Amino acid sequence: MTLRVAPREVGTPPDSRATAERQSGWLVVAEQETRDLWTSGRGLILLFLFSILLSVVTYLTSTNQALNFLEQRESVNLVLQLAVAVGVLVTLVVSADGISGERERGTLESLLITPVSRRSIIAGKLIAALTMWFATFLITVPYVWVLARGVGILGQALALGFCVGTLVAVGLGCIGLLISGFSSSNKTSIAASLFLLLILFAPTQLPSGLPQGWFFEVLLRANPVASALAYISSMLVEGHSWTQDLSYLITPLLTAIIAGGALVLLGPRLVRLTPGVHAG
Amino acid sequence: MRALILGVLLAGLLSWLPAAAHAEPINVEVVADPPVVSTVLGDHFEITSEVKNTGSAPTGEILAHLNVASIEGSVYVDPEDWSPNRSQQLSLQPGESRELTWEIQAVNSGHFAAYVVVVPFGSSVAGNEDLKVSQLVNVDVAQRTTLTAGGALPVVVAVPLLVGLAAGAAFFRVRRRRATGT
Repeated sequence: MTLRVAPREVGTPPDSRATAERQSGWLVVAEQETRDLWTSGRGLILLFLFSILLSVVTYLTSTNQALNFLEQRESVNLVLQLAVAVGVLVTLVVSADGISGERERGTLESLLITPVSRRSIIAGKLIAALTMWFATFLITVPYVWVLARGVGILGQALALGFCVGTLVAVGLGCIGLLISGFSSSNKTSIAASLFLLLILFAPTQLPSGLPQGWFFEVLLRANPVASALAYISSMLVEGHSWTQDLSYLITPLLTAIIAGGALVLLGPRLVRLTPGVHAG
Repeated sequence: MRALILGVLLAGLLSWLPAAAHAEPINVEVVADPPVVSTVLGDHFEITSEVKNTGSAPTGEILAHLNVASIEGSVYVDPEDWSPNRSQQLSLQPGESRELTWEIQAVNSGHFAAYVVVVPFGSSVAGNEDLKVSQLVNVDVAQRTTLTAGGALPVVVAVPLLVGLAAGAAFFRVRRRRATGT
């Protein structure tokens, strides 16, 4: 990323200038990172592939004449779960590239000499990565509309998907940036992030008919992704109220708070040049 | 003589065997209302059933259970989908009656019958008690098309097309910028 910062205004007191830069630095970084992500076409290509996936699922669902009323609710649940899964995946990948990628491309040095604090750099990068989730969700809206309008859960499904997905995306985006900051290479960072995501998604693929004891329940609740998806299912498929299974959201919330707090505390140490790592 | 001795022995033996438990009949009357429900796929409706103790003794613990069956065609019915709470436990004093409400959602279209059956409840159930069943509630569920391939097609085609065009435009813009070196 090549950061362009507006020239300093002549006549402004140095202290207020520094404060203004600290306050708006994250916004400048976020704007620049977001522009890079979307104008380069990287984000749009991922969205294009995701829209094809959703089109296939939606079309197959709509051609199924044997689908009953409740199974249609399950298909809304499936599409929302796909949106959260893919949205979180792309957010994690983009954030995992955030710091280690800058190091390898040799652009971190120029970023560090700009008058923007390191915490602002991290905040800007997190916001840019989160735009991937918001775009993924935006793409999901018409598909959810097609599937959910007939069963009267459109508003509920969209509000639920947005809130729960944003919570998970923030948590995993923060984890992605932490991994990126600590990784010695970009490959390591992305591989570690993808492996983490695989571990988190594995329990969601277990057959629901398997006997599930207390250990499974503990694993489910300790996993921010699986517990968030379980909360979505409990509301959309089982028709529970939003307060009934709220405890499922404890882990995603704690993940976001702990990982976000770690980023704030460790931010200045994470955004740094590493000896031996240079643009290849 | 030998037959007589055998008969006496057999009678003596049988008298030692425990007599088969004779269950008390459930003296209740079950009336379901309304007799006919016409609704549309996906809609919720309620039926009520009045359970009355017509006997002279308390019923003890009894269980009222709702069931739904298809009475036309070969529609698969999973009663759990129609109503998640299909059992209500109660006990009635002589002459007492209780009105039970059942919330149902029509999840299939077609002709169905809903009925409430009362069974004894608890560890003292012998297994040969009579069941008391309400009359059938005829449930006619009209089809409502909520999802069709034709309805989904515009979204299924248009969204990837628009996103693909945007991605393509961004890709070519980047290539052109690289080629011109700006």
